[in-house]
Amino acid sequence: MRKKYKLLILILIFCSVKTFSQDTNLDSILDEQMKAKTKNQTQYTEATFKTTRLIDGHTVETTQAGVLDLKVSHRFGTLNQGFYNMFGFDVASMRIGLDYGLTNRLTVGGGRSTFEKQYDGFLKYRLLRQSEGKKNMPVSVTLLSSVMFETDTIALKTEKEISVSPRTSDKFSYAYQVLIGRKFNPNFSLQLAPTLIHENIVDSAFNPNDLFAVGAGARFKLTQRSSINVEYYYQLPGSKLPGTYNTFSIGYEIETGGHVFQLHFSNSTGMTERTFIAENTGRWSKGDIHFGFNISRVFTIKKPKQLKM
Amino acid sequence: MFQRLPFKRYCIFLLILTMAASGFRKQPSQLYLTTSGKISFRSDAPLEVIRASSTDLIGLIDITKGNFSFKIQVHSFQGFNSPLQKEHFNENYMESDKYPEASFKGKIIEDVDLSVDGAYQVRTKGILTIHNVPQERIIQSDVTVKKNIITVHSAFTVLLSDHNIPIPMVVNQKLANEIKVEVNATLEPR
Repeated sequence: MRKKYKLLILILIFCSVKTFSQDTNLDSILDEQMKAKTKNQTQYTEATFKTTRLIDGHTVETTQAGVLDLKVSHRFGTLNQGFYNMFGFDVASMRIGLDYGLTNRLTVGGGRSTFEKQYDGFLKYRLLRQSEGKKNMPVSVTLLSSVMFETDTIALKTEKEISVSPRTSDKFSYAYQVLIGRKFNPNFSLQLAPTLIHENIVDSAFNPNDLFAVGAGARFKLTQRSSINVEYYYQLPGSKLPGTYNTFSIGYEIETGGHVFQLHFSNSTGMTERTFIAENTGRWSKGDIHFGFNISRVFTIKKPKQLKM
Repeated sequence: MFQRLPFKRYCIFLLILTMAASGFRKQPSQLYLTTSGKISFRSDAPLEVIRASSTDLIGLIDITKGNFSFKIQVHSFQGFNSPLQKEHFNENYMESDKYPEASFKGKIIEDVDLSVDGAYQVRTKGILTIHNVPQERIIQSDVTVKKNIITVHSAFTVLLSDHNIPIPMVVNQKLANEIKVEVNATLEPR
């Protein structure tokens, strides 16, 4: 008899335990629901870099659809020019350009530089976006193709050592880049940029028309709205024009609403791929350091559909 | 103790216990769920109005106990005046990578029976967590029950300063400290 009772008691306890276990925890159910919901979603990484230029070079970022980005870039003369030239203040090189986002992935842009009176235009396409979730992509990849047209004939003639006036085709150079970037965490982003520069004319038959280089750039965030940026372009051995040096730049970036201000030091005068990757004659060790700044201001021309409410 | 109880009485005692237990079991907690509630917010600053919304609110109400829990992925908000503004919302203000969720969980203060059809105005008391800063809040809500479906409508304000979200000087004419929030959700039995 007693055994039976004990059994019954056990069953009863079991029943009541079961009742208590039904006292559900709302949060755990909610978390399950959230997991199920986000499992099928892809979270794309935003703002690997603040803007589409790191210092001189492009970043993996593209201008968003319907957004016009006005870029004003300035490089003063070199610091070693002394007091008479106010350490470069009296000499300035400028580029003003516009970038426009045709789609979120495709950007078209162009500009005019005072350095060697150059026009440039580019197309930039975001091939892959870093993402997590349903689609997992460790890096962002952006393709860049740009064309540069140098109209300073006198500079071109001395630079390329030609005596006759250059043909129109001689004034063109092209740059192709594959930008591979990753935002490792909210404070650190890194990118690599294998680059090919093609110059239609070089100063001697011994020099290659196709120049290969690899660029690297990084952003270290200091505060919510400012960061330290560094950029280095390494010309591969054997594809280097004589008297040119690798470009290293370091800068501070701050954003305020629709503006991004970048202040930096660089050994390059030019601000387009041809000039800062293939034809930079400045050297840090000689004090050929330019102080410069970029200002980026975005205007929303067309409000994208997904943003309308 | 059992040896002293006569067998019959003991059986009755057991019977009562079992009935009580099973009676308890007959009322399992009634859970109502939504996975597509809508939240919208609005910032009315002197120079700019910013609006955004999300339809990814998930929430649960336990009508037997009167407690509830709601959550949203901050990244799911769409709207804004420009893509850059959306980026700033996630990157600089909400820090959505660090604090991906905002939540409100608590209890209904009034003693209402939400298993009965009708319209109720209730106060809810709970913890509102935004930007990883919890704040105890009492929020008024309109709850309508009809054919086993619960509709919740609620409007309240959130102060950015309450949740440790500073407004930089340069945008203090473009972003209000007081954000108006509206919630609309339809919950069905789970």
